[in-house]
Amino acid sequence: MTHGANASREVQVDEIARVEGEGGLHVAVRDGVVTEVALNIFEPPRFFEAFLRGRRHTEAPDITARICGICPVAYQMSACNAMEDACGVSVGPGIEALRRLLYCGEYIQSHALHVYLLHAPDFFDCEDAVELAGLDAAAVERGLALKRTGNLLMETVGGRAVHPVNVRVGGFYRAPDRAVIRALAEPLRRARDAALTTVEWVAGFDFPDVERDYVFVSLRRPDRYPLESGRVVSSEGLDTTPAGFAEFAVEEHVQRSNALHAKLGGTQEYLTGPLARYALNFDVLPEIARQAATAAGLGPVCRNPFQSIVVRAVEMVFACDEALRLVESYEPPEPPAVEVPGLAGVGSGATEAPRGLLLHRYELEADGIIRSARIMPPTSQNQLSIESDLRRVVESSLALSDEQLTWRCEQAVRNHDPCISCATHFLDVTVERHS
Amino acid sequence: MGSEWRRDDGVGLAVARRVAELTEARALPNCRVVAPLGDSLDLLGHWDGANLAVVVDATRSELAPGTISRIEFEDPDQVASAESGSDRGPGLGRSSTHGIGLVGVLRLARAVQQAPARTVVIGVEGEDFRQGSELSSAVAAAVDKAATCVLELVEEALKCA
Repeated sequence: MTHGANASREVQVDEIARVEGEGGLHVAVRDGVVTEVALNIFEPPRFFEAFLRGRRHTEAPDITARICGICPVAYQMSACNAMEDACGVSVGPGIEALRRLLYCGEYIQSHALHVYLLHAPDFFDCEDAVELAGLDAAAVERGLALKRTGNLLMETVGGRAVHPVNVRVGGFYRAPDRAVIRALAEPLRRARDAALTTVEWVAGFDFPDVERDYVFVSLRRPDRYPLESGRVVSSEGLDTTPAGFAEFAVEEHVQRSNALHAKLGGTQEYLTGPLARYALNFDVLPEIARQAATAAGLGPVCRNPFQSIVVRAVEMVFACDEALRLVESYEPPEPPAVEVPGLAGVGSGATEAPRGLLLHRYELEADGIIRSARIMPPTSQNQLSIESDLRRVVESSLALSDEQLTWRCEQAVRNHDPCISCATHFLDVTVERHS
Repeated sequence: MGSEWRRDDGVGLAVARRVAELTEARALPNCRVVAPLGDSLDLLGHWDGANLAVVVDATRSELAPGTISRIEFEDPDQVASAESGSDRGPGLGRSSTHGIGLVGVLRLARAVQQAPARTVVIGVEGEDFRQGSELSSAVAAAVDKAATCVLELVEEALKCA
């Protein structure tokens, strides 16, 4: 069944699949005009910020890592940065490099999971990766192998593939031996080849013709692609510290969502995540990743959210290449951590989680006890942009059947790899057409 | 499988530790105990090419605490369909990034020809899944028996190999 562009209808997805957490989606179309788009996040509130109060500053990395099993490193790194900022301590280049290596593991693991198991099935009209494997087993095997390499990196540096235990404020409990790290080189070379093949594979997908005028926000460093540190910049000229961004980005509660909605200066929606990171840092990607992007038909900026899968694949090339560079030059930092005595102060830290900018801000009392905590995960920052994507996608897809339109809407949400549990502060879909 | 920070949910890990002790004491060849398992998808790497995989996990049903069940996973697609009421099954489609379950992992493993020849689940009925690291008494008392069930399966497989 097809629908005329002027029909009225409703799209309702009660529970969106292949995303993390619980949320739904409702779209209403009246006489061919989209009148309502609502991303409803009903995953229950998790109160992490509340139960950080009264804990020691050294406990924040392990407590906040439990917010997410896919991006625990992001939580650990943002917490460490914020605590070190509050206590006026900096870590040396050896610890910074080891943090970056661990973060590369999380990127490989998280992006491989999303590209192959969660997102790619959309482009083959498959329910899941099992169906996709029936069409292209070699591709799914490649994705699983990539993910295993990410896990290996996480285990080697972090002590565990999920919720690493080796990270502490000031650095690491133990620096892995050189031989153990150097042994990662060969698996990483194979993973880099698999990531390059991934870019070629996803570049051949059929993408809906949608362009969005995003305001991009990400970290930026002049010397390297941002992961574990940097200033916060935007495509509109913002250039500030994480502390400055904590002041500039205003979060507000809306009734339909247990996640706060963030706006720049309290008024402007924005997008964080792979598209933003790529657009604002293309020049500092390693040559091999830039070449792969160019060969895949990407320019230095990509505004089609459906092509985010290509950008993620390019970022996998980057993460494998960067990890390889770090492995080949690795020397165990001595000592593996600097002491960070607790003192009264306010600190902010931001890192680039695979899904986007993750900001922590803490207020500490004299002995380092946490008086207040604020955590801004990427999915809550992206909610308004995801709703705008949906509006644009529905407007350009009104001729689709209800079933096709619902699928397209779900896909539009999955483009951003939302982590609802992190944001709970997501997905059932409803499309409503009225005449 | 399981979390040892959720009391009886950790019984799989307790059984795995006991099985590790027994396989070492009996010097059983070509056996590997994998625990704890951080990511269920890692099973693919561990059991690829195996004749037999025995998965030990807590169960939660109407059985008495400590009751041991043995489930042959002959056709995960059938299990998936029964769970979802759909021919396509819940598999990975309804899963989230955090929660790919054993049925989903086994379906995926078969789809990419990385499944063991035979998969058996040894389940131990749990009683208390609240936070904490201690097994309840009935579940703790079932650990040795569950480990023996695993060993019997392994020894039977080794004889047939």
